[in-house]
Amino acid sequence: MSFSLKRTRAIFVKDYKEFSRNYAVSIMLIFPIIFALLFRGAGQLLPGAVGFVFNASFVILTCFAQACLIAEEKERNTLRSLMMTPATTMDVLIGKSSLVFVMSAVVLAISTYILGYEPASIWAFVAATILSIILYTAVGTICGLYSKTLLDASLSIIPVAIVFTGGPYGGMLLADDFPIFKVLEYTSTIQLVRLLDIRNAGFTMGDLLKPLLIILSWTVVLTIISVALYQRRLKDE
Amino acid sequence: MQFQPVYYDGELFLPKIELNMTSNQSIGIITDLKRKQLLMNQLVNHSEYYLFRAGQSEYMRLTVEELITFLIKVTERNERVASLMDYFALKEERKVKIKDLSSSKRMYVTLLRVFFAHQPTLVLEEPYFYLEEEDRRHFKRILDDVSREKQVLILTSNLEDAMISCDTIYRLNELGFHPLDIRDSEEDKQEVQEQDQANITLQKISTKRNDKVILFDPPEVDYIESIEGSILVHVGGENYVCALTLTELEQRLLNFGFFRCHRSYIVNLQKVREIITWTKNSYSLRLNTGKNTVVPLSRAKLQELKALLNI
Repeated sequence: MSFSLKRTRAIFVKDYKEFSRNYAVSIMLIFPIIFALLFRGAGQLLPGAVGFVFNASFVILTCFAQACLIAEEKERNTLRSLMMTPATTMDVLIGKSSLVFVMSAVVLAISTYILGYEPASIWAFVAATILSIILYTAVGTICGLYSKTLLDASLSIIPVAIVFTGGPYGGMLLADDFPIFKVLEYTSTIQLVRLLDIRNAGFTMGDLLKPLLIILSWTVVLTIISVALYQRRLKDE
Repeated sequence: MQFQPVYYDGELFLPKIELNMTSNQSIGIITDLKRKQLLMNQLVNHSEYYLFRAGQSEYMRLTVEELITFLIKVTERNERVASLMDYFALKEERKVKIKDLSSSKRMYVTLLRVFFAHQPTLVLEEPYFYLEEEDRRHFKRILDDVSREKQVLILTSNLEDAMISCDTIYRLNELGFHPLDIRDSEEDKQEVQEQDQANITLQKISTKRNDKVILFDPPEVDYIESIEGSILVHVGGENYVCALTLTELEQRLLNFGFFRCHRSYIVNLQKVREIITWTKNSYSLRLNTGKNTVVPLSRAKLQELKALLNI
């Protein structure tokens, strides 16, 4: 599969202009910042507050934006037309994903600054955030592929929120009574919370590496699934 | 280009079609919605055919200039935006967002995707349907330039649309796939010459509607057309069925300023306002009947009409 920087950049610029002028979708950019402002005071006292802000932002910003970008193209039949140009699947996916990536990274950096969060290891923190953004972009791609219109895409966020945020958090609360829910400890969501909760004093390399590796494996699996699904769905069109 | 036969409830719905396409030629197929879909579904090869379907929409929030820039970049062409905007005659709409354009202009801009296609064959579904006359003319010009290097196939349900830019026209319906003869037949002319004398005693045209016989004075009639064997007399936007043939009507109406402008049309010259030139070879007549009525004018009849009108 060939990949051209010129075409990818054209798609990036086009999507940036479309996205920034679609206020109904681009308003999602300010939600993580509002969350950060709300949790600002509680951040130091409440364990997991930073993790919650991050996990929620991934769903309502990263996943939502990616799903909307793809669903809108499908709704207007422009994706089909794009597939008849020299632009390849990779060009389209990377162009869109990089826009979502840049937006998420900038907004989350601002949120972190507002929260006043200081990670134990800045490298582990940055790596986990980057991996999670890629992970949720892949989930957003899958949502976009299974929705026909913009409205479908915005609704498809609800199951994602349940599976990736509600499920693990709820499961952890019940884990003491029902040991079966201990499995949810290994979701990327909880691992991110664990990683972000590591404080400055006394941590080992193993403490950092374990959550990172689990998140990495989730990211790799979901990215492969989303690219495979994307190519299969486009053949049906 | 080849199409496989399609059966529907045990009956042949789409016959096997083989089209010999050469470049610098455009083919039109007049057919219905269902058959259009079936034809297009067979053209799945993205490296051979560029398919423009009627449902195509556009990136609404981009301006026209941004869209053209995007299309140039994504198809890796070397043209400059400014010169293409001139070529597309979109200079004035440069900074307008697609969603703010008039619906005809929006369709025109959407159709420009065809210009950027790299495939050797372009297939367009109903390209002229939503276009106003000015945009039609621009798009026709662009399509003519494109068809110099590529093969163009137009699928439409409208004869007039197909006549705008197709060299060869076929009709595809339950009777099969047949070429449409748009030349004027020789027999008609000979019959006309046999009876030079106009029949002045017959001044009324009798038509039928809902079992009533309605008589019209010839000057009332806008034009008469023949659709699939039945003769329709158009008067003030309404149409009435007439039992006479076009050749008979032509002889009766000769002295009232009527003119056989096409194999299946007779027009009242008193009501013609404009001769529209689509290209060197395709023309239409616009009538001043209030409603925007356009009647096709065949190329062979143009000289005759010009002589008649002393122009």
